[in-house]
Amino acid sequence: MSAVIETKGMSKFYGKHRGVIDLDLSVGRGETYGFLGPNGAGKTTTIRCLLSMLKMTHGEARVLGEAVTLDGAALRQRIGYIPGEVFMYEKETGRWMLDYISGFRGGKGASETELIERLEFDPSRKIRELSKGNKQKLALIIGLMHDPELLILDEPTSGLDPLNQDVVFDIIEERVKEGATLFLSSHILSEVERVCERVGIIREGRLVADENMHELLARRLRELTVKFADGVDASTLGGMPSVEDVVSIDANTLTATVTGEAVDGLIKHLAAHSLTDVTLQHASLEDVFMEFYRDDAHKDSADSKGGDAS
Amino acid sequence: MSWNLFKGTMHQRRKPLFWFSFSLVAYSWMMVWFWPQMGGAEYAELAESMPPEMIALFGDAELSLASLGGYFQTEYLGLMWMVIVAAALIGYAAKMIAGEVNGGTMELLLSQPLSRSKFILTRMAGLVLQVLLLSAATFVPIQILGPGYDIELTAKVFWLLFGLGSLLMLAIGSFAFMVSALSRDGGRPTTLTSAVIAGMWIASFLADVSDFADALDPFNLLSYWEPGKVINNGALATNAWWVYAGVSVVCLVIAYIGFMRRDVA
Repeated sequence: MSAVIETKGMSKFYGKHRGVIDLDLSVGRGETYGFLGPNGAGKTTTIRCLLSMLKMTHGEARVLGEAVTLDGAALRQRIGYIPGEVFMYEKETGRWMLDYISGFRGGKGASETELIERLEFDPSRKIRELSKGNKQKLALIIGLMHDPELLILDEPTSGLDPLNQDVVFDIIEERVKEGATLFLSSHILSEVERVCERVGIIREGRLVADENMHELLARRLRELTVKFADGVDASTLGGMPSVEDVVSIDANTLTATVTGEAVDGLIKHLAAHSLTDVTLQHASLEDVFMEFYRDDAHKDSADSKGGDAS
Repeated sequence: MSWNLFKGTMHQRRKPLFWFSFSLVAYSWMMVWFWPQMGGAEYAELAESMPPEMIALFGDAELSLASLGGYFQTEYLGLMWMVIVAAALIGYAAKMIAGEVNGGTMELLLSQPLSRSKFILTRMAGLVLQVLLLSAATFVPIQILGPGYDIELTAKVFWLLFGLGSLLMLAIGSFAFMVSALSRDGGRPTTLTSAVIAGMWIASFLADVSDFADALDPFNLLSYWEPGKVINNGALATNAWWVYAGVSVVCLVIAYIGFMRRDVA
């Protein structure tokens, strides 16, 4: 699978301030990649470097097989970009904006009319009269109307109501089925979970995870609830490797968090008891995301205490 | 150059450009219209009674205010005209680069298949077109309406004024363009260019009233702007062309290089 997005040691500093540090990314053709991180983690900086709006401090990047250069224009013919914050020419109409952007791309977008209809957007109104959601719709139409090979979307449903969010993801899923590659930056984890096969998690400018979505979820947290036929206490599960946070809900029920590859040993251990019910629920992406950040917070806290002690 | 960007740029600047051009046409017509009343012996007497410092405030102290050239320089081309064209060009330069970065629309434009070089060269072409339009709005009405009010400028004088006026505007606009291309803040080109022009104007005034300040003249763009002498004598110092052209080229080259290397979002 050839890489559509590839970065090696890509770093961006704003003076002394960190943007992203030593980012190694690889997104294959047709892949759907979710790029997760809280505000300020470096998601938008990464995208802007890939689109050559920001000059990388170190490293290199290739998009659609071509090296990213500050003056590269031909490359962007094949990319549809929806920025995190939508800024347009407020005095102009939506129609003017669509025609203006189409002028850079050699003509009207093949999907323009369809997108206008599906998103129920009125292009005759001036942009300053549009709500945040309608501006976002216009940005979506602009980004998608030329059926690009690579979609780079930065919080694409920001400001949209749930119905329109659903329409947008239907459209994105259709584009992906038609062969487009998706790079979706978001902190709305349910969106990423819905469409992405792979996910990267960025924290303070560094990529801290880059894994297949299903593997990531499968290997990470699971919420275990066990109902025993006889009374038990928390020590029944205590001491087992990778089983944490054991809580006794009532005389017969325990809950715990299972991490890592402990499932096999756990089931064998439980088989020695008489059970009435067992549920083992996979973690949501949100739980995984929080796990990464909680771990880092714990580590930082420990480091800080260590520092104080010395 | 991108024709689509050029059309879009002109579309977005159509209203300011119309009003600045309209103001210049109206002002030029008003100045031509007033000349028969102002050009008589009474005006000459009034002008000669003014202290040299006051005459210097409006233009060249060596110029006779009662002459056609002195009248145009003092009443129009030496001050008000410069204020109008500087406002037009600084506004354009500030809005078209730093304003786009600051306002977030640069991100939208440069995520399209539009190279940085095409972007800035097109915006430079827009600057040149505006300079030519403003120059035409200033000098064509004087040339066309003048004969009806005892003003006869030769074609040579007209073209000298048109050319030199255009180059002065280009130099001012290019400086503002350079500042805009290097900054993120839309207000900085306006503030800095206005301050530089105001400083030059003060230096010109001081040079007219004090020999000590003459040393500033070679570095002062406005010291080469002598429309009164062009109108009266039909000639101007050759170095004026080179100074204005040189400043314009240097500023535009710096703007180009700076813009090609900077962060635009």
